[in-house]
Amino acid sequence: MPISCSHLLLLFAPHQLTVLAPIDIAVLALYFVLVIFIGFYVKGSTNTSEEFFLAGREMSAWIAGLSFVSANLGSLELMGWAGAAYQYGILAAHWYWIGAIPAMLFLGIVMMPFYYISKTHSVPGYLQLRFGEGARGVSAVSFALMTVLMSGVNMYSMALVMKVVLGWNISFSIWIGAVTVAVYVMLGGLRSAIINEVLQFVLIWAGAALIPILGLIEAGGWQNLKAQIAANVGSNDYTHLWSTLGSFRDNPMGVHWTGIIFGLGFVISFGYWTTDFLVVQRVLSANNLRSAKLAPIIGAAFKMAVPLIVIVPGLLALTVLKNPDGSMMHLVGQDVAAATGQHSYNEVLPLMLIRYCGPGLLGLGITALVAGFMSGMAGNVSAFSTVWTYDLYGAYMKKDAPDSHYVSMGRWSTIVGMLVSVGTAYLVAHAASIMDYVQALFSFFIAPLFGTVILGMLWKRATRSGGFWGLLSGTVASIAMWIWVQRDGAALRYIALSPDARPMAENLYRALWSFLICVVVTYVVSLLTKPTPVAELAGLVYGATEIPDDDSPHLWQKPIFWACVVIVVFFILNLMFW
Amino acid sequence: MAEGTGRGEKLSIWFFVGILPLMYGIILLPYGIYEAMGHESPTTLHQLHPTMWWGLLLLIFGAFYVIRFRPRKG
Repeated sequence: MPISCSHLLLLFAPHQLTVLAPIDIAVLALYFVLVIFIGFYVKGSTNTSEEFFLAGREMSAWIAGLSFVSANLGSLELMGWAGAAYQYGILAAHWYWIGAIPAMLFLGIVMMPFYYISKTHSVPGYLQLRFGEGARGVSAVSFALMTVLMSGVNMYSMALVMKVVLGWNISFSIWIGAVTVAVYVMLGGLRSAIINEVLQFVLIWAGAALIPILGLIEAGGWQNLKAQIAANVGSNDYTHLWSTLGSFRDNPMGVHWTGIIFGLGFVISFGYWTTDFLVVQRVLSANNLRSAKLAPIIGAAFKMAVPLIVIVPGLLALTVLKNPDGSMMHLVGQDVAAATGQHSYNEVLPLMLIRYCGPGLLGLGITALVAGFMSGMAGNVSAFSTVWTYDLYGAYMKKDAPDSHYVSMGRWSTIVGMLVSVGTAYLVAHAASIMDYVQALFSFFIAPLFGTVILGMLWKRATRSGGFWGLLSGTVASIAMWIWVQRDGAALRYIALSPDARPMAENLYRALWSFLICVVVTYVVSLLTKPTPVAELAGLVYGATEIPDDDSPHLWQKPIFWACVVIVVFFILNLMFW
Repeated sequence: MAEGTGRGEKLSIWFFVGILPLMYGIILLPYGIYEAMGHESPTTLHQLHPTMWWGLLLLIFGAFYVIRFRPRKG
C-alpha cells in the first residue's frame, strides 16, 4: 500500500550521501542490460492480446505468486516503512502482516475462483459483467488515471532518491528509467513486467538482506536490540505489536486496535489486495485455477518475511546509527530536517546500507532500489495499458476490432502512458504536494471498490443500480471526509471517534466509513430495484456458480491446506511480538 | 516450453533469476577476496568480509538456478 511520498522524499538532506565506485556502476549496468534483453527476448511470444495483457495466462503459481507480492514491494514502500519503523517502532509491521496476509489468503481461496472462471481481463471488466457499464466506467476511468499518475510519482521518487543518495541529475534519472521501462513493457507486455518483477524480488533480498543480518550481529541479537531500544527511547512500546493498542494514547502511532483490525486489516487491506488491478492482474496470468488460488498464498508466505528487510533496519537504526563524533544520531521529521539539514526518518534504509555496504554491495543495494522503482513504474503502466485498451478504448471507442489492433493499441498506450508519467514526474518536481494528492486520490477508490466487488461476488440480490450507486456514494463520502479533515484538523476526532487520534488513524477510519456507506447504499438500492435473474449471475456470484475442482489429488497440494499453514504462522508471529 | 517466457522460447524465467545473481557473484567474490587481503573499505563490521561471503552466496545461488534451468535441446 502506498505511503506518503512527499513526506518520504522531501526529507532527504540537501547533500548527497555517497558515491558509486566503478564496481557499483558495473552491477547497476548489468541489471539494465538484462531487463532490456528480456524485453527483446519475450517480444516474439507477445503477439496476441491474451499474451500481451495477461502473459498468455500461462504462468505457474510460483511465478504469479512472486510477481503478485513483488508488484507491491516497491522502493517507496521499502524506504517509507523502514522510516515508519524508526518513527513508530514495530507497529509498522502491521502493514505487512494483518494489513496484508488475511486479505491475500481471502483473495486466493474465496475471490480468485470468480475472477478466474469469469475469464475477465481486469477488475473493471468483472464489474461490467456483474454490475454493468456504469460501475465499470467509474472504476476504469479512476484506475487508469491513478496508475499513470502513480507511475509518474514513482519516476520522480526514483530520480530524487538518486539525486540525494548519489548526486545524479533529476532529468537523467527520469528519462533513463522511463525509456528502459517503456521499452521492456512495450515489447513484452505483462510477460516482460512479470519476469522483471520476479527478478526484482530476488534483487531486493540480495541487496537488502545483509542490513538486518549485520545489524543484528552489531546489536548483539534481538533481545539485546529490544533492551537497547527501550533504553534509548525510554519506553518498551517500540517492540510490541498489540499490547499498546488498547488506547490511542498508549502507542507511538496514536492508533487503536479497532482501527488496525477493522480499518487496516479488513477494509484497506482487503480493498487493496483483492480489488487493485495492479496486483490482481498478476494472478490472472496463472495457467489454471489451482495456480490462481495458490499464487496469492505463495505471495502471502513471502510477504510475512518482508519485515525482516524493512522493519528490522528501522528498529536497528534506533540503536546503531551514530554521528561521526560517536553520539547517537537522531533522525527527525520533515519540517525539522528541512530547517536543520539533519537526516530524516526516511533516510533510514540508505543510511543503513551505507553503514554496512562497501563498494560492490553498495551497488547491489542501489540496484535493488532502482529495480524496485522501475518495477513500480512497469506495474502501473502495464495495468494502465490493459484497462485503457480493454475497458475504455475497446469498450467505448472501438469495439470488435481485430485482436492485432488491440495489441498495437496496448503497445502505443504503454508509450503514451509513460510520456504522461514523465509529465507527471516533472509536475511533481515543481509542486511536491501533488504527490500526496495523487496518493489520496488513490485511497478514495479502494475501500468503496472493495465493498462493491465483495457484495457483487457474495450476494446474489445485489443489483446493477445498487453496485453503481454504492460505489459512487462510498467514493464521494471518502473524498468528503478527506476534504473535511484537510480544512479542519479537528474533524479527525469525529472520523476516528476519539479526541486522541493522530493523523495515521485518519486513513484507517475514513476507509472504514466509506466502505460501510458503500455497503449500506448498495444494500438499500438493491432491495429497492429489480433483482438480476440468477441465470445471468452464473460464473460471477457465490451461490449461482458451480466452483470447479482445483484438481489437487492430495491434501498437501490443496490451496486451502497451504492457506491454513500460512495463517498459523501469521498467528504465531503476532503472538511472538505481541 | 520454457517456463514463464512464452511458447517456443528456450530460456526459462528461472534461468534469468539465476543469471543475474551468478554474474553478481562473479563480480563480488573476487572483489571481496581482494578486500579481505587488507584493502577493506571503512564500513561497520568490514572485518567479517561481507562482500566476499555475500558474493559467494550469490554465486552458489545463481549457479544452481542457471545449471538447473539451462536451455536444453528439444
